[in-house]
Amino acid sequence: MRLRAALLAALLFATPAAAQQRPLVWGDTLPATLDPHAVFDVPSQFILLNIYDGLYRYQGNPPQLIPWLAERHSVSEDGLTWEITLRDGVNFHDGSPMTAEDVVYSFRRLLAMNRAPAAAFTPVLKAENVSAPDARTVRFVLSTPYAPFLAAMPLVAIVNPRVLTANEKDSDRGAEWLAANSAGSGAYRMDSATYRPRTALDLVRFPEHFRGWADNPKPIDQVRSRPVMETSTRVLALLRGEIDATDSYLPTDQVERVERNARTRVAKDESMRVFILRMNNRKPPFDNKDARLCFAHAFNYPGFNEIILKGLVIRNPGPNPNNLWGNPEGMAPYSFDLAKAREHCDKARAAGAPLGREIEIHVQSELEQTVQAAQMFQADLRRVGVSLKIVPSTWPNITGSTGRPETTPDMWVHWVSAYFIDPENWIGQMYDSRFHGTWKASSWYQNQQVDALLAKARTSLDQSERARLYAEATKLVVADSPDIWVYNTVNLRGLTRRVQGYSFSPVGSGGELRTLSLAD
Amino acid sequence: MARYILRRILLALPALFGLVLLTFVLTRVIPADPAATLAGDAATPAQLAEIRARYGLDRPLWEQAVTHMRQVLSGDLGSSIFSGRPVMEEIVFRLPATLELTFVALLLATGLGVPLGLLAALNHNGPIDHLARLISVGGLAIASFWLAIMLQLIFAMDLDVLPLRGRIDVALGAPPTVTGFFLVDSLLAGRLDLLVDTLRHLALPAVTLCLPGLASIARFTRSGVLETLQKDFVLYAQAAGYGRVRLAAIYVLRNAVTVTVAQIGLLFGALISGAVAVEAIFDWPGLGTYAVQAILSADYKALLAVTLVVGVVYAVVNVLVDVAQALIDPRVAEQVK
Repeated sequence: MRLRAALLAALLFATPAAAQQRPLVWGDTLPATLDPHAVFDVPSQFILLNIYDGLYRYQGNPPQLIPWLAERHSVSEDGLTWEITLRDGVNFHDGSPMTAEDVVYSFRRLLAMNRAPAAAFTPVLKAENVSAPDARTVRFVLSTPYAPFLAAMPLVAIVNPRVLTANEKDSDRGAEWLAANSAGSGAYRMDSATYRPRTALDLVRFPEHFRGWADNPKPIDQVRSRPVMETSTRVLALLRGEIDATDSYLPTDQVERVERNARTRVAKDESMRVFILRMNNRKPPFDNKDARLCFAHAFNYPGFNEIILKGLVIRNPGPNPNNLWGNPEGMAPYSFDLAKAREHCDKARAAGAPLGREIEIHVQSELEQTVQAAQMFQADLRRVGVSLKIVPSTWPNITGSTGRPETTPDMWVHWVSAYFIDPENWIGQMYDSRFHGTWKASSWYQNQQVDALLAKARTSLDQSERARLYAEATKLVVADSPDIWVYNTVNLRGLTRRVQGYSFSPVGSGGELRTLSLAD
Repeated sequence: MARYILRRILLALPALFGLVLLTFVLTRVIPADPAATLAGDAATPAQLAEIRARYGLDRPLWEQAVTHMRQVLSGDLGSSIFSGRPVMEEIVFRLPATLELTFVALLLATGLGVPLGLLAALNHNGPIDHLARLISVGGLAIASFWLAIMLQLIFAMDLDVLPLRGRIDVALGAPPTVTGFFLVDSLLAGRLDLLVDTLRHLALPAVTLCLPGLASIARFTRSGVLETLQKDFVLYAQAAGYGRVRLAAIYVLRNAVTVTVAQIGLLFGALISGAVAVEAIFDWPGLGTYAVQAILSADYKALLAVTLVVGVVYAVVNVLVDVAQALIDPRVAEQVK
């Protein structure tokens, strides 16, 4: 009996022994696979930035592209041949030195796997055109000039071929193995034994990392990544100190609560991630410009941005984020103006646009904001005589349907994140008709003038000329109103106050552990 | 008896076959395109086509179904289309987590539900009966996600006596894996601290999960006992002078719980599906959260495997329940013959 009572007491009141400092517990989402060549989404950047290194890396905000494993680059006059000189003295986690051959292997592996992170390269680069003239030089010969080539470099993790070939199965380039292991040179090493997909990843600092640790005298030795699935649990776990960091998309209505707690704070950083309501420009009524303008004026931008999202976002007038180069100066955003909306809708109806039919807007049900935006829009559109039907869906369902104009929804809601920092990532891939069939270009917008400008901007190596071309294309696209651009995201990451040295960059969303330390 | 068991097992097989086929068709007719998710941003239509061909997604549906069936029959549940890793490897980690939670919840539900129902029936229309009714109506009516969050707010946040989420404290780490059940593994490792920590982590999710089950078990037991109390043999036993406790606990209960035991089999299915919400809120790394992640990323291979594994577990549990029922009441097996 006494034993039972003691056990009960232990159950209720014991708190786990925490004599030494708790390791850093990172509560952000983990990617489905750890193979850096297999996925590219926001969670996978955590792996890319901490376990691996790339030739270049974005640092700071606004992001600067800095040579990382690379020392310098040169490009031929015709913009086709790029040579990158590697820095000396880089070792992988297994101690073996990194050579140009390893870089060649990494790029060839990426291109052969042909998964998400390869998409930026496959149109211009073939595997056989990556070579290593000597141990410190990598040569890329492109099939057409491609200005964002360097900007896309941080997408590619350099992997250790010796580790991968040792774990190869059916010539899969170690793909199955790498999904749950690592072969990198990054500032942190993973512990494969305790890894549980999407549940637990333990990281240990790599003291021999090539950048050295001089700029961070108190780096964190042990990091435990423990993703928290539900938003409400994530916030509670942070408030309680069970995790030290949430993801960087804290709901705006939770910000005050986290800031009120003495133990926690919210890091607010303007990112490059545009919230957008798409219109299928091939489907009536959206093939009519007045109908599109009617919709653009019927969205309550101040209501959504300032009231629902509590002003924690920044109004974005066009497809490119405000804080990126290549935007025209003084571009005025569309205003919320129901009188104007009515006027355009009347014109569209007069021209025969079927605005009487029910318009479907597909939302990502698990992402609350897409639902809120659609609900608010539904109410305002009713006031101009348009009925909007909200269809709950998921990201794969929607992107699975954007391959053809007939299957693409009338409207759908999503964000375009910073995969690489170049207008090509936004306006280039969203409004050039050569990308039709991809989700990014799913408004099926077509304007030959815009196509020509974007094609030229994609191949020109003159930065000021590119900026001018993108600005011109942006003006044309915005005038045509193919979509409804709402805001640029301010990333909101909840952190415990013991986390120091947090540094944010739009690529990676502040997930780089190298600069962090823990206050006592 | 052996024939009876064999018969139950054989009857489960066509059900499982139907399950595999049905879930395959369901996951493949929804418009989600795994290729689009795999190829990622700015994938060209050519790249998509190449990926579809590589994963056989361009083949006719019936052909994909046949391939899938053949794989399942040969014991291969396939690989996740995202990680390329065998789905089974992940399920091996996650199934024990779900089973541990479900079993503890089931134990709580029966351990509390049966006595509660019995007491309610013996106290027909008395205060205990009313209390039991309140608990069962409440247990069935309260949404588990609401209850989960309330328990978190009270016991983890305000009182600070139980952990908020997860299976084990981050600083402690999991016990060495033998069975995957942390309760068993921590005992095998001789680590009492891990056992206590596991129990502490189990408390809130198990209570949340058990409540609807507890409610229905209490109700079934109560009505079973009430019905049995009307039987002639009870009257005879009473006349013969048997004590109230002995009569209720031995003669009445055994006759009354056959319905309850059948209920437990059904309940197990409800618990596993209820675990999806509970696991998500408590960050329980089980099959429920795995299935949700699979749906959100259109990883249909993973989803099919989860459905099949849950189906098999459910079938096994129901065979066991049938056997238990036959043991309690031999007439059940007799009827089948």
